[in-house]
Amino acid sequence: MSPPPSATSPGQPPAPSPLDARSPAPTPPVPELRWHQRLNVMTVSLIVFAIAVVASTPALRGSGRQLDYVGNVQRFLGYFFPPDFSVWRETLRALGETAQIAVMATAFAIVIAIPLGIAGARTLSPGWMVGCARMTLNGIRTVPSLIWALIGVAIVGANPLAGVIGLTFYSVGYLGKFFSDAFESVDIEVARGLRAIGAGRIQAFHHGVWPHAKPLVWSYVLWMIEYNLRSAAIIGYVGAGGLGVQLAGYQEYYEWEKFATVLIFILGLVTLLDLLGEWVRGRITRKLNRRGRV
Amino acid sequence: MPPPPAQPARPPRAAAAQADASTLLTARGLGLRRGDRWLFRELDITVPRGAFVAVVGPSGVGKSSFLACLAGLLEPTEGTVSFHTPDGAAVPPCDYRRQTGVVFQNNLLVPNSSLLVNVCCGRLGELPWWRSFFGFPQEQRTAAYAILHDLGLGHLAHRWSCETSGGEQQRTAIARALHQAPDVYLADEPVSNLDAYLTGRVLGIFRQEASVRRRTVFCVLHNAELVERFADLVLSFDPSGSGQWHLRTNHAR
Repeated sequence: MSPPPSATSPGQPPAPSPLDARSPAPTPPVPELRWHQRLNVMTVSLIVFAIAVVASTPALRGSGRQLDYVGNVQRFLGYFFPPDFSVWRETLRALGETAQIAVMATAFAIVIAIPLGIAGARTLSPGWMVGCARMTLNGIRTVPSLIWALIGVAIVGANPLAGVIGLTFYSVGYLGKFFSDAFESVDIEVARGLRAIGAGRIQAFHHGVWPHAKPLVWSYVLWMIEYNLRSAAIIGYVGAGGLGVQLAGYQEYYEWEKFATVLIFILGLVTLLDLLGEWVRGRITRKLNRRGRV
Repeated sequence: MPPPPAQPARPPRAAAAQADASTLLTARGLGLRRGDRWLFRELDITVPRGAFVAVVGPSGVGKSSFLACLAGLLEPTEGTVSFHTPDGAAVPPCDYRRQTGVVFQNNLLVPNSSLLVNVCCGRLGELPWWRSFFGFPQEQRTAAYAILHDLGLGHLAHRWSCETSGGEQQRTAIARALHQAPDVYLADEPVSNLDAYLTGRVLGIFRQEASVRRRTVFCVLHNAELVERFADLVLSFDPSGSGQWHLRTNHAR
C-alpha cells in the first residue's frame, strides 16, 4: 500500500503533523485561558489568605508601651536554669499518670468514635444521619480540651478520672471525624459487590470496607495517643491529674527550676512518641503505597 | 418497534424436565433506557435451570447492564425479573442475592484481604454476621482453598489480592462465585484476562456447573468460538439503540 499523496506542493516543507499526513493544516495556536478561567479554589483561597494577612496587622500592636522585650525573655528564661532534677521521682510518677490518662481516654474514644464515624460517612449512612453525626462531632471539637477537663472535674472531682472523661470527649470529636473520612475514602463498590452476592450490611462493612480503612484508622489512633499525651500534660492545670497538676503547683510558688524539669520530661516523652509514631505510621503508609492504592 | 418473537428458551437437555419446576428465571417486558437509546426493550425470556446462556454483542451494547438488572443492582426502566425458587415462589432479584453468584467485570475483590478470605466472602450470605466476625469456619476455609488450588492459586492463598496479577484476581473472583455455590452465575467477561488454557478450564467448570449441578450460567463472552463450544442459549443485543435482542439455541453444541 502506497502512502497517501501529500497535498503540499513539492517546494514546501513536509506536513507538520506525521499523525495526519492527509490534511496538513497548520497547527492552531495554543488555546489560552481567560484570567477568570484560571481561578480555582486553590488560587482564590490563596488570595483571600493574603488579604487576611494584611488585614490582621493590628494583632501585632502589642501594649503600645516601650518594653524591654529582649530583657524580659532573658529574665524569664533565666528562672528556668538550672533545672532542679531533685523532683524526678514525683515527675516520673506524674508522667506515668499522664500516660495512663491518655491511653485510657484514647481507648474509650475509639469505642465511641467508630459508630459515630460510620454514621458520619456519606458513603455508608443516610443523609440525615450524616448531618446529625457531623454536627455532633463539630460541636465536640469546638470545645477545647481544657474546658472538657473542667467539665470532667465538675462531674467527678479533681482526679485522673476527670482527665480521662475530659480527654475522651475531646478525642471522640477528632477520631469520629477522622474515622468517617477514612471510611469515606474507601471505594464503596467492593462492599456493594459483597451485598450483591448475599452479604448483610454488617458483613459488607466488616469485609468490604474495614480491611481497606483499617491502616488509616490505626494511624489516626496512633496520632491521637500522641496528641492526648500532650493534652494530658496540660489538663492537670484544672486539676484533672497528671503532669499538669505539678506544673500548676510549681507555677503557683514560682519554682521555675522544677517547672523546667517537668517540661524537659514532657519534651522527652513527646519526642520519643513522635519518633515512634512516625516510624509506625511510615510503615503502615508504605504498605498502603506499595500495593498501588487506587 | 415490535420485538422479535420470543424463542423457545429451553435447551435440548432441559426438554425432558418438567417445565415449571425447571424454570429458574423469567424476564417480562424487560427494558432499559440510557438517554434516548434503548439498550434492550420488551425482553421476554424464560431460562431453565442448568442452562448456559452466552450474552453477546459489541461493546457498550448493554450486556453488563443486563446482568446488573438480573443481579438486582440496576433498576430496569420497565418490566420485571423474577427468580423461581424450587418451592414454586417467584422472588425479585434483590431477594435472591444469596443464590446469585456475580463475577464482576472489575472483579470487585477486597484489595487488602488475602485471596483465601476473598473467596470465603462468597458464602457470607449463609453466615450470620457474628459467625464471620472473627474468621470463617474451618470447613469453609478448606472448601475455599480447594477451589483456589483447583484454579492454580493455592500458593497465593495468603497473598493480598492487590498484590496479585489481573488474571489471578479474575480467577479469585470466579473462585468466590464458585465457593458461593449459587443457583445462578452472572459472569461478566470472566475470561477476559485469562490465557487459552485457563479460559477453557474456567468455562469448562461453568459448563459442568450447568450440566451436572443444574445451575444456570449467564456469561458475557466475546469469542464466537467459545460461544459455540460452551453455550446452550445465545442472547445477543443489537447496537442500533432500538432495544432489539435475539435469543437462539446453540445447535452447534
